[in-house]
Amino acid sequence: MRWRPAEWQLALPLGLAFASLFAAPLLLLVGVSFFNDERITQPGFGQWIKFFGDPFHYKVIADTLLLGAKAVFATVVIGYPLALVFIDLPSRLQRVLLFVIVMPLLLSVVVRTFAWIVVLGREGVVNQLLIGLGVISEPLRLLQTELGLVISLTQIEMPLMLLPLISVMSRLDPNLRDASASLGASRWRTLFTVIVPLSMPGLIAGCLLVFASATTAFISQTVIGGVRLIYLPLLIWQQSLVVFNWPFAAVASLSLLISVLSVIAALSFLGRRSSGNLHG
Amino acid sequence: MFTRRNLLAGASALGGAALLPSLAHAKGSVIAATYPGSWEEAYRTVVAPAVKKSHDIDLELQPLYAVDQIAKVRAARGAPPFDAFVLDPGPRITGIEGGLFEKFDGRKITNASKLPAGMIDEWGICVGAQVVGIGYNPKKLPPPKDWKDLLVDPWVSRLGITGFQTTFGTVSLIEIAKAFGGSETNVEPALVELKKALPKIAAVGNPAAMAGLLQQGQCDITYTNIQTVAILKSRGVDIEFVKPASGAVAFFTTMHIAKGSQDAENAYKYFDTVVSKAVGDVLCKPPHNFIPVNKEVVLPASLPMRNLDEMATYVRHDWSKINPLRAGWIEKFNKEMAK
Repeated sequence: MRWRPAEWQLALPLGLAFASLFAAPLLLLVGVSFFNDERITQPGFGQWIKFFGDPFHYKVIADTLLLGAKAVFATVVIGYPLALVFIDLPSRLQRVLLFVIVMPLLLSVVVRTFAWIVVLGREGVVNQLLIGLGVISEPLRLLQTELGLVISLTQIEMPLMLLPLISVMSRLDPNLRDASASLGASRWRTLFTVIVPLSMPGLIAGCLLVFASATTAFISQTVIGGVRLIYLPLLIWQQSLVVFNWPFAAVASLSLLISVLSVIAALSFLGRRSSGNLHG
Repeated sequence: MFTRRNLLAGASALGGAALLPSLAHAKGSVIAATYPGSWEEAYRTVVAPAVKKSHDIDLELQPLYAVDQIAKVRAARGAPPFDAFVLDPGPRITGIEGGLFEKFDGRKITNASKLPAGMIDEWGICVGAQVVGIGYNPKKLPPPKDWKDLLVDPWVSRLGITGFQTTFGTVSLIEIAKAFGGSETNVEPALVELKKALPKIAAVGNPAAMAGLLQQGQCDITYTNIQTVAILKSRGVDIEFVKPASGAVAFFTTMHIAKGSQDAENAYKYFDTVVSKAVGDVLCKPPHNFIPVNKEVVLPASLPMRNLDEMATYVRHDWSKINPLRAGWIEKFNKEMAK
């Protein structure tokens, strides 16, 4: 009789890949964080105490999470109406719009980030336009500010918000809106009582992706934001590649991982609750 | 087993040996780290063809900052991702202390007699000097005279600064500190003055972004090395180099063979080509403006130095004292400059 793998055995290759490529390095990271010295010879909690004993690092963690929240807010405010427009477009225009949405993902993040230097710079497109229109007389300071960083992250992360949102909203039954209208609901009421709750899983998925990506966007954070805006990825880079203090970098990395995962877990919980409310 | 070299060989084969006859017949290859930007451009256009012509060796360049090279080789633990390092004095000491270099055999450098004494030691070979000073836009600002000028108007409001993560950033901040009463091991005065000037400073940037910020007019003056100024100038950016009155900073750049390198012999030939007169003659001219170590190379007027003997008149730093303090300085810079 021929051997047939059990169902769980089919998952073995993926399980092994996950264990070797994700779980093992993560365990190694945890292990390295429990060494006091840069040469990784003396075990101890020294680096954890050093990291959490300094209030500056709490501010860095808070700023990192806040940046993610701001990017999520901006992408939702711009992305949600765009997704609403998208589902009402004829399929031909949808394909064009989808290409426009996906196009930024096909470009390297480095190229997109450096393009934003040209757009937001003192002599960049935005300032030239505003000065040309007579709106301002002196160039605005957009680069090296959190506002500039959030603007660039909104564009860079927008596909991550739009794709899950569009995927969920495209599956909404158009009859639901007609039914809502025939029952006397205004367009706004239909939006907030029918469409928004039904699109919540896509919205939550988009928020998760944008939040995780924005909080770890090292290139955008350092190139657009500059070095005055200190977020955890810059701290990790400095400690691992400039100072070579790997145990401290490991503590900072785990702090980033834990804080981002906590927010993601909360968002996932909200997502599950919202879908439970709808279908439960 | 898949080694780096097997993969490269496989990639070459896939590329089609018939389409690349010279590659197929090359005597070998060497993978060398080089600094991104002006160094990468110069080494790709001048050194790689010269190594191919002289020794029939394919030079593959990996653009990496000095600290990234050290980090990569440390992480690789005995299986280095490249054969040759190019380093500034600080990372060189880190590399020696970390046991990352093969012992260097100077007898394999045929151009050794053409280099000043002391350019080759048991760890590597000196391939050039770097000069750090001030780069500024002459169309927007008058020329500054000294490091102190950076922190007063009209320069401070157009100033772009970087931290201690690069050699040129570190030495410049040390010089600013000295101008305000600090020393090679005390950068506190520089941080105090920068903190005061911070509301006016145009940009506090990542070193990799500074060229872009200068090009876009986000800042019009910064501390930098002469190669960066030369490459920006060659691209039409309005920028000039100034040697501060208290002295420009100079340091040597060295090359080393990575411990565990499989192509050490080819690395020696690569180093020999870099310090040859033929390559030095080209690299010292615009747009490259490198300061070569070969005594037979006549330095052009575009360089700030007439010959290497002048190194004695430049400001030099002791990196064995700086290295242990640098982590603390980076941390302090973060805290003082953070919004």
